[in-house]
Amino acid sequence: MEEKEFISNLLNPQTQNSAFEKLVSDYKRPLYNHIRNIVLNHDDANDVLQNTFIKVFKNLNNFKGESKLYSWIYRIATNESITFIKQKAKLTGFLESDLKIKIVENLESDTYFDGNEIQIKLQKAILTLPEKQQIVFKMRYFEEIKYDEMSSILGTSVGALKSSYHHAVKKIENLMNKD
Amino acid sequence: MGMEEFKINDKNKLTSGFITPEGYFDNFSIDINNNESQPETDKKVIFINSKRWISTVAAALIVVLSVTIYFKIVTENTGDYSKIENYITNHSEISQYDLINLLDQKDIENLGVELNSNSTKIEEEFVNTNEIENYIID
Repeated sequence: MEEKEFISNLLNPQTQNSAFEKLVSDYKRPLYNHIRNIVLNHDDANDVLQNTFIKVFKNLNNFKGESKLYSWIYRIATNESITFIKQKAKLTGFLESDLKIKIVENLESDTYFDGNEIQIKLQKAILTLPEKQQIVFKMRYFEEIKYDEMSSILGTSVGALKSSYHHAVKKIENLMNKD
Repeated sequence: MGMEEFKINDKNKLTSGFITPEGYFDNFSIDINNNESQPETDKKVIFINSKRWISTVAAALIVVLSVTIYFKIVTENTGDYSKIENYITNHSEISQYDLINLLDQKDIENLGVELNSNSTKIEEEFVNTNEIENYIID
């Protein structure tokens, strides 16, 4: 089914529910991974995923089709994740960076994390990057999202994204090879 | 990985290590029939130029402040005159001689008009006042 047809199904009250069910089915896994990489914790990722889909559904009428549906949904998910982290930090009285460090330090005891020491070290190394660079690195390295798609999601030029990823890689390799 | 150098572009790429509870995605659903999650219909948007909006707020603020300050001043000016009088009587260091020095001939004439003093009234005052002798001595 072409995207245009799918979008018109989403906007048509007759076909809306079934089209939205398909959208959830197609996007729940990749979107969960994307959100989880930002918020780090399963329960939080679940909340943000729910909110993202609800927001997508509520705003279907505002989707003008200027960008791809994929980019639009990912943009909502990214913004929801960033907002969630900010709110959680505010509520718990931590700085955002400190909150993430705390979560990563507790990964070993996290039921829904089965990584090893190196993977924890990688997560810690990622936290040393500026916030946006962290997202760029995770989207490229873990999710393997192409630069042009990333560009339409984050609203940053491909060149800037490549440069950001290149710097992130250098810094992470240095940190990972220390000791 | 041991002593091997870590390379991002290595074939043995690391995963995030994040997992989900069993059956999480199979059981995942969104309740879109909930009233709160109905798609938002197009709303009428009243376009307000941002500059005009700022001016409107500023104007409203000025009006509120002006009214508040005006009433404050009015309240302050309608004080208790007897209190002021008593305060002046008890705390003022101005003597009657100072007052006399401050008055010129015209002021005294005006006082005469305001008090409506004439010889008959002065006589009556002398007759009715027991302390007349004290005034004469002064």
